[in-house]
Amino acid sequence: MNTIANIALRNLSRQKKRTILLGSAIAFGVMIVTLINGFAGAFSANVAENFSDLMAGHIFISGTEKGPDDKDVSVIRDDRALTSAVAASGAPIRYVTRRSAFSGTLIFEGKKLRTNVDGADLEKETFLRDRLLLKAGSWDAMAEGNALILSEKIARKLNVDVGDNLLVQLQTATGQNNVGEFRLAGISFDTGIFGQMMSYANLAYVNELLGLAPGEYQTMGIMLDGLKHTESAAAGIYDKLSGSVQLFERGAKGSDGAETPFQALIRQQKKESWEGVRYRLFTINEVLSQIKQIVAALDTTAAVILVVLFVIIMVGIANTFSMVMFERIGEIGTMRALGVQRGGVRSMFLFEALFLALGGAVAGIALALVAMGVISLFDFGMDSPAFLIMRNGHLSFFLPPLRAVGNVAIIAVLTLIAVASPAGKAARLTPAEALRTQK
Amino acid sequence: MGIVELQNVRKVYPLGKVQVEAVKGVSFCIEKGDFISIAGPSGSGKTTILNMVGLVDQPTEGEVFLDGKPTSGLKDAELTRLRHETLGFIFQSFNLIPVLNVWENIEFPLLLGKTRVGKDEKKEWIDHLIEEVGLSEWRKHKPNELSGGQRQRVAIARALVTRPQIVLADEPTANLDSATGEQILELMKKINRELETTFIFSTHDARIVDIADHIIRLRDGLVTENRRRDEPAAEACAAGAAGVGVRGARAGA
Repeated sequence: MNTIANIALRNLSRQKKRTILLGSAIAFGVMIVTLINGFAGAFSANVAENFSDLMAGHIFISGTEKGPDDKDVSVIRDDRALTSAVAASGAPIRYVTRRSAFSGTLIFEGKKLRTNVDGADLEKETFLRDRLLLKAGSWDAMAEGNALILSEKIARKLNVDVGDNLLVQLQTATGQNNVGEFRLAGISFDTGIFGQMMSYANLAYVNELLGLAPGEYQTMGIMLDGLKHTESAAAGIYDKLSGSVQLFERGAKGSDGAETPFQALIRQQKKESWEGVRYRLFTINEVLSQIKQIVAALDTTAAVILVVLFVIIMVGIANTFSMVMFERIGEIGTMRALGVQRGGVRSMFLFEALFLALGGAVAGIALALVAMGVISLFDFGMDSPAFLIMRNGHLSFFLPPLRAVGNVAIIAVLTLIAVASPAGKAARLTPAEALRTQK
Repeated sequence: MGIVELQNVRKVYPLGKVQVEAVKGVSFCIEKGDFISIAGPSGSGKTTILNMVGLVDQPTEGEVFLDGKPTSGLKDAELTRLRHETLGFIFQSFNLIPVLNVWENIEFPLLLGKTRVGKDEKKEWIDHLIEEVGLSEWRKHKPNELSGGQRQRVAIARALVTRPQIVLADEPTANLDSATGEQILELMKKINRELETTFIFSTHDARIVDIADHIIRLRDGLVTENRRRDEPAAEACAAGAAGVGVRGARAGA
């Protein structure tokens, strides 16, 4: 069999141009599919990490108590139990944030726009300054109590500039209408849909607007060393919390199966009744469960492209090998006369196709890796509209090794299928027929 | 009993919708160690007979005995094994494997089948054959770097490498100039003498006919002459495998 494989390998060098063309077709297909796989592999992690940065955490704990008329009030009044549970969990924590937020209407010179305003302790959340690049204004201006940072798009819609005063209409944590005034301290670059929606203010002023007392807040964000620790760390924190505070159940699923864990948690919160503050713990993965659907769609697209490309390539390979069989018909006859069995002739063609497929696939993956490396060198900036799918302004890729191996295996199998028919015809030739037909 | 015996062999080919009878009932017997020439004009059935003796083709009727054993009814794998173990082939167009060099082309038959030859023994034997055919300095060359005569020498060495009982040569000098053809013939005759290998040629080269021990002439698929050199007719085989002693001449369809 070694001899047959050796001849098959050498046969590839006989028609170099043809081999290079076929190999290039395979390599191109594999490269495209590998790039999509690599992009999809990093897409989910990048989006989750960027959302984590914007939302300031991988794991979140929010408090809810029943207010007047049984209305839910989002508040954490005393976080000592939370802090000690988080510390005791042993999770790899980078930092902890405390935020309050509201969805309100900003008003400036008759123009109105609804947006979310996050109240953050900007003295402590220094990382936010690194993530959020200002196009106008400065972070120093945030020292003013009612300072506000808006995204470029919102600022443009309201036609406001740094230094302008804006009115805000909102509802307090207990559902009362309230009005406040912000002074625009900075305008940030647009960073995708999510970035456009976000506006930042000082936690103390947002608390004041929401009717929360100083020291109170709505959501604790726990930023970990990396996304991969999220679920295990969340389980550990939940475990530590369960002995000391009231908790909503985690991982509740809707009866029809269509509800995400996050939606199930909200439904649970609305339906049930309790005394004091009850806490819910959720992770960035639960918030972004739909991202998984996007990744699945990307993977499906890659698979469809793989199949379509390779059906086309397979037709080319099958035709080429039919031609090769006729070109080498005398050689087949000679080999059969010298004692090569039918299986040997079939194997020779299959080996040749396999080597071609493997060579093409490996070259395709190598090209894709080079392309990934080159593409990831480009700095699209933190203000790119595609910010959410990038990592620090760079497109990044992650190719799971098994996915690459799987692609190579698919190509190998498809190529063998394509060549099976001409290889079978070559093997079925009688030696006399083959020797008679030779040129 | 001869090493090869044909009994009433017919071969019919379909050619489109027409059936062409290439061999019309041929019987003859070949003795071990002979240098046999199957001569005749184009279309007389030489190559077809050689193919049937070489087990690369099967008779439509009749029987081919190889070393006393009938070959009809054998499966393809058994025929292939028998070819590999018993026969060597030399073709008119040399039929070397283009991706293998001289040494590898000669080695190729030794890598087939189940019998394995020791590495040293193999090397020694191939080197000896290369020396015998005068290609010591060309062992690393590919077929496309050799002349026609050199290629045929490689083919001869390849045909002998498995130490076959019979070597079948289909018009081995047809594609060579006369001087080279003569050298090749001398070489084969030498090997025939030294190794007692039976050589069966299909040819219309008078030089081969002149040096053959046994001449079989064909015309239109029939044997017109079957005699040992300097004898009027061929000796009969000893009792044939099927119990039939066949005397030269022709056995018509």
